[in-house]
This record gives sequence, structure tokens and C-alpha cells, in this order.
Amino acid sequence: MQARPLNIYPLSEQSVVLSFGDEVSEDILKQISAYHRTLQQNPFAGYTDAVAAYTTLTVFYDALQVLLSDLPGADAFEKVSNYLMALAVKPAVAVKPANIITIPVFYGDDFGPDLEALATFHQLSVEEVISIHTRPEYIVYMIGFVPGFAYLGGLDGRLETPRLATPRPVIPAGSVGIAGKQTGVYPLETPGGWQLIGRTPLKMFGAGRAQPSLLQAGDKVKFAPISKDDFNQLSKAD
Amino acid sequence: MQIEIIKPGMLSTVQDLGRTQSRGNAVPVSGAMDTLSARVANLALGNEQTAAVIEFTYADAIFKAQTDLLIAWSGDGAILQSDGQMLPADRPLLIPQGKTIKLINNPTGCRTYLAVAGGWNVPEVLGSKSTYITAGFGGLEGRAFRKGDVLQTFGNQSETNVKFCDTLTGAKINYPRWSIARPLFLPADRKLIRVMPGPEADWFDADAIASFYSAPYRVGSRSNRMGIGLEGEKVKRKIQTELLSTAVTPGTIQVTNNNDMILLMADCQTTGGYPRIAQVAAVDLPLCAQLKPGDEIRFQQITRQEAERLLVQRERELRRLNQDLLDF
Repeated sequence: MQARPLNIYPLSEQSVVLSFGDEVSEDILKQISAYHRTLQQNPFAGYTDAVAAYTTLTVFYDALQVLLSDLPGADAFEKVSNYLMALAVKPAVAVKPANIITIPVFYGDDFGPDLEALATFHQLSVEEVISIHTRPEYIVYMIGFVPGFAYLGGLDGRLETPRLATPRPVIPAGSVGIAGKQTGVYPLETPGGWQLIGRTPLKMFGAGRAQPSLLQAGDKVKFAPISKDDFNQLSKAD
Repeated sequence: MQIEIIKPGMLSTVQDLGRTQSRGNAVPVSGAMDTLSARVANLALGNEQTAAVIEFTYADAIFKAQTDLLIAWSGDGAILQSDGQMLPADRPLLIPQGKTIKLINNPTGCRTYLAVAGGWNVPEVLGSKSTYITAGFGGLEGRAFRKGDVLQTFGNQSETNVKFCDTLTGAKINYPRWSIARPLFLPADRKLIRVMPGPEADWFDADAIASFYSAPYRVGSRSNRMGIGLEGEKVKRKIQTELLSTAVTPGTIQVTNNNDMILLMADCQTTGGYPRIAQVAAVDLPLCAQLKPGDEIRFQQITRQEAERLLVQRERELRRLNQDLLDF
């Protein structure tokens, strides 16, 4: 598998964007993940952080530390660019198997206030919506928006639904929603316009955890329906 | 050293230089909005520049020294005063136990930073003490201050902290004659913000770009630690493609689908799906942190090379200043 950035350009004087293509695809996701892991294992002097997105990996650095390094280049941007464009991705790193994470969801009721209207909109029964939503193995393309929020790919076209006309001022943490071609879980209480179909008792983000975000880019996700009793049990356990 | 918050003010939080290693989990950087003032306040005491400070928004806050305090303050949101006595900025101040300190209005800016010898003691979360209110972590219980909150120092005083404490003793508020010349770090025209072209600058037509670099923009009332809304001449796009969500960073200027402009600040999200027309030079972000609703600014285009050169120059000056104070 090729994991070569096609292009590199500055975002700021302390960050550069590596571009791997211009479409959402699992192949590009794998290239970015492999490159990201290789970089984390082989950081350059001054590397601080990286953000993986659909087609880009943005690399943040401390310009002063980079300048002090012996990387070739006239300034920090050139030094970092030269290093990143030459970074060889090891095949062994690239073939990391995906984690498969099951997210238990209680569908409907107060936890999924839009479930019935969404079913009516698509001329499906509530059971059919749940069954269609729980069937696919979704893939995490990126983490963004708020801490731990996963952009999932793989929603069945039959569930594509526009956002609410008026966003809700408060959406509880754990809410599972649909917006356009996207589905996902709100990790924190925020405002939002997604159609809410259920809620998970899992904590999607925990600042004190070794891995704060439950999901990472490249992970596979399944939703599994649970009863209210299960929800309450699992809420206590977390 | 310990203070009690008598009046919390509009938005007072603990901040440091931010959470720079969790962006991959979509955790915002946070940290002081005006990092220059936060660093100057720490430097003036002989603290590490990364020590936790208090960020006050505007004036109207009051705190009480529950012990003798060695503090320094910097920034433009307020002026510190005790018993009618103005406390000068950008230098160490010894405040005897029992004194009450008020933040009174300073029309120049928006945010003020209070450093204390050793730094404010709050738990570190994901490598930083910065408060991120949206997720409720960092700082003091992940929230803004309330009346009656008590803040203590970290305890680990530097040699310079101790030296200042020893030389400034007494029953009255005491301070040296020198101060850090913070204005020397600031450009003469503080309403001219230097920016470099953003990755999607070519998504806008030439007229839009020309007007972006000539028209004044007004700071909107919907401005906060996440971002500053900019009002004024709208910039038209020539490419209507949707941008696939990608990384943004404090200083990124996004143009929304309504052609509104948002200048992202410390608590901004880590990714966004709006085209990035420009990026504020890191050295000028502290100026943006002091902008108030209604302020008018203009943008001046500089190259990426120039932005990097200015950043490196600023960092070297701050390092030299730090060294001078350690040798003091």
C-alpha cells in the first residue's frame, strides 16, 4: 500500500497539512492512519501533535525546536516538509488490524425523540429503522468537532435524513443521531441539529483515561440495541 | 500562597499555554487567549512561562490575599488596584496578607492575567492546567470561578521567586522600580492584524481577496474563547465545492456558507469544514485576544516566511528576557 502524501502546504507557521487525495475513501483513510502511526513512532525534533482528517494529516510543531535541528531546509517549514515528504512508511506499521467496537444503544423513547418521525419520513417502521441502523459495520474516518466525536462512514442510504430545521440548544452526552449521510454519537452535552434516535450509556470521551477518545480513526463500529434495564445497568458500570 | 475570590467577574478561569498534544482526540488547545501577557506575567516573577495563571475577562472581579502573595499581572482587560492604590503591571508585587485587590476597568482591551510565585495549583488534565468549560475539565473543576473559591499556589518556588520575596518584604504593598516592557513586544498599530494566506485563499475571487486586505472588519458581539465573529465586507467565493472537514488551529479565519467570517481562538474545535481564507500570524494572536465587540481591525498580508521569522524573533526575545531575569 502506498502511503505517500501528494502535497504539503502550511496551515500556520507552526503546522503543515499533508494531503493524500480529494475524496472520502477507505484506502485514503488507511494511508493516513499508516503514515500517522509511522510519524508518531519516528517524530522529528519539535513535533508536537497531528490531526488526521478525511484526506489530510495536519502536523503541528515548535518552530524554534525545528530550527535548531539539523534537518535540511532554510526555515522550519522547509525542514519539516523535507522530513515529512521523505518519511518512509513501514509495511509492518501499515497493516495494523482495526479495532471493532460495539456501541450499545437504547433506541427511541426520551432518548431518541426523533426516531418515530424519522421512521415516518422514510415510510419505515421503528423496528426497521433500528434494524437498518444496527446492521452495518461503520468505519471511523476522523475524530473532530468536539473531544471524542467520531465521523462514521457507512450509513445505509435508506436512513439519510436532513438535519432538524431548528437545532436543539442541549443534546445530552451519548445521544445517537443521524444528519444527512452521517450517523454518530455526541460525546458531550452540546447544542446540535442531528435527528436523535437513541442513546448509549458508554462514555465516548474521558479526559482521565489512558485513551481519552473511545474511538480512533480506522476503528470499526457496530451499534447494538439494548433494553432500558441494560442501559441503566451499563450506566452504573461506567 | 492563597487567595479567595470575593467577586468572580464575568469569566475568570485558570489557563496555561494550552493542551498541545491531544488535538488528535479533538481536544481543543485552550490555554490563555493572550499567551504573550500570560507569559510576561509569569516571567516578571521568575516563574516558568508554562505556569498556570488566572485569566480575567474585563474588570469587576475582586480577590483577597489570604496569605502574603508574590504576584504579577499583565494584559489589558483591567487594572489592579488595592485601597485606591494602582498596582503597576508587568513586575513582581508583594501583597501582604489581608489585602483586597480589585480589577477596575481598562478600556484598552479585554483580558488580564494574574501569575503567582510557583503558579496556581490545579490538577493537570491531558498535559495542561487549562480550563475547557465545554467539556468541563481542566482548571478549577472545569469551570469559571465562583464567589468563595479558594486558589493556592503550587508550592515549588523558583530561586528567582524566593529572591523577589526576600527583597520585597514589608507590611505595605511593595514592588521594584523596573518592569518588563511588554509594549515593546506589541506592534505600534494594534488594530492591524498580520495574516498569511490560508490554504483555501484561492477559493475566493480576486475582488474578495482585495477587499479582505483593505476593508475594515468589526468584532461582533458573538465573540468568545472559541472564536471572534467578524462583521463587514462579505467575501464572495468563486469555488462552491464543500470542503471536507480538515484541521483548523487558533488564528484560522474561516468563511461560512453565509460568507460570514470567524477568527478561531484558543477554545476552537480541532477540525472544520469551511474554507480557510487566512491565518493570523502567531505573534499577532495576542492582539486578537484583547479585541472587544465593536473594535475595528484591518488585515495586512505577510508571507509564511515572514510569519515564521516574526515568531522565531519573538520567541528568542522572550528567551533572552527569561535568562536576564534568572541572572537578575
